[in-house]
Amino acid sequence: MRRNTLVLCVTLFILAGFAWAGWANWEYRQQAAERLLAASGRGELVPDPSGGAATYVTPLKGKPAPSFALEDLSGKKVSLASYRGKALLINFWATWCAPCKIETPWIIELRNKYASQGFEVLGIDTEGDDLKPGDTAGWAKNKAEVSKFVQQMKVPYPVLINGDSISTPYGGLDELPTSFFVDRQGKVVAAQLGLTSERDIEGNIKKALTQ
Amino acid sequence: MRGLISAKSKVGGACVAVAALALWGTITSAQIVPASGQGRAQSQTQAVTYLFPEQVTVPAGKPSAVALHFRIAPGLHINSHTPSDEYLIPTVFSIPADSSAHLDAAKYPAGTEITLAVDPKTKLSVYTGDFVIEARLVAAPGNHLVQGKLHYQACDRNECMPPKTITVPIDVIAR
Repeated sequence: MRRNTLVLCVTLFILAGFAWAGWANWEYRQQAAERLLAASGRGELVPDPSGGAATYVTPLKGKPAPSFALEDLSGKKVSLASYRGKALLINFWATWCAPCKIETPWIIELRNKYASQGFEVLGIDTEGDDLKPGDTAGWAKNKAEVSKFVQQMKVPYPVLINGDSISTPYGGLDELPTSFFVDRQGKVVAAQLGLTSERDIEGNIKKALTQ
Repeated sequence: MRGLISAKSKVGGACVAVAALALWGTITSAQIVPASGQGRAQSQTQAVTYLFPEQVTVPAGKPSAVALHFRIAPGLHINSHTPSDEYLIPTVFSIPADSSAHLDAAKYPAGTEITLAVDPKTKLSVYTGDFVIEARLVAAPGNHLVQGKLHYQACDRNECMPPKTITVPIDVIAR
C-alpha cells in the first residue's frame, strides 16, 4: 500500500514536471516570436561613407505602415486607417526627449505649410513608463503631463498616447525621436531616427506627398 | 506469486526511471527568457554601469557616507540630479522602503552644462563619463544585502533612450 502511494506520488510529480516544462517551452516560443517581430521592424543607422549624417534604414520602407488605434488627449480612439488618402508623418516622441522638443517647432511649421496639400502629422507620445492598462492614476498623470507639454509647444496636430503599445511593429522604438513618412496609400516611404534637420524632414514630407 | 510481484516491481521501477529521464531531458531543454517591458524591446546599450563598492562596513545605527561609483558609456550623457527643464528626468538613487538598510540622504555631483549644435540656446545639465553619488546609509547591526536603484535617462547628441532603472547591489556590514 505504501509502495503504491509512493509510486503514485512520484508519477504525479513527474506529470507536474512535464506540465511545467510544456508551459516553459510555450513561454519561450512566445517571447522568441515577439523578438522576431520586433527585429523584423527594427531599423539601423547606416554611416555615410563620405562622413555626412548617418541614414536610418528601416525594413518598413516600401511596406504598409503597421496599423494601430490609439487614444488622443481627449480620450477619443484614433486609427491610422482613418488617415488613408493623406500623406502622414508618424512622429514618436516623449516629453523627456530634448531632441524631440527641438524638432517639434520644425514639424509644426512644415505641417502648417503642407496641410493644404493633404499632409498631416500624428504625434505619438511614447514615455516608456511601462504603465499597466488598469493604472488609472498613472495614465491620468501621463495625459496631464503630455497635455501641458502640447499646450506649451502649441501643437496643432493630433497627439496620441501609449506609443509603447505599438513599439514592436515599429521596430522597438529604442531611441527617440523616430519618424515614419507614409504616402497616401499607407506605404512607408522614408524614416528618420534622432534629430536631423528641418530640411531633411521637409525632403521626406515631399516624398510622402508625391509618391 | 512472489516471482510475479517481483517482476511487476521491476517493470514499475523501470517505468519510473524512464519517466524521470524523459522529464530531466524536457526540463533541461525548456528555456525561459525574462520577459521584456510592455511592448518595448530592451535597448542594446547599457548606458550606465555601477562600478563599486560591492561591500562596505559602517558603524551600526549611524548615518555613514558611502561613495557609489558609476560609469556612463562613451558618447552618452544622462541628466544630472537637477536638470534644466521640468520635463527632463533627473538621475535619482534610492533604496527600497522594505530594505533592511535605509538611505538617509544622497549627495549628487554638479552637472556639466552642454548644448546641442542645432539649438545652442538651450543648456542641458548632464553627467558624462564617471560620476560619484555620496549616499548616507543607516543600518542596524548585521549583514545587509541592499539592492539600491539608480533611475536615469540617457541620450547622445541626436537621440534619447527611454528612462531606465538599474540595480545597485551593496553588501552593507554594520558593526
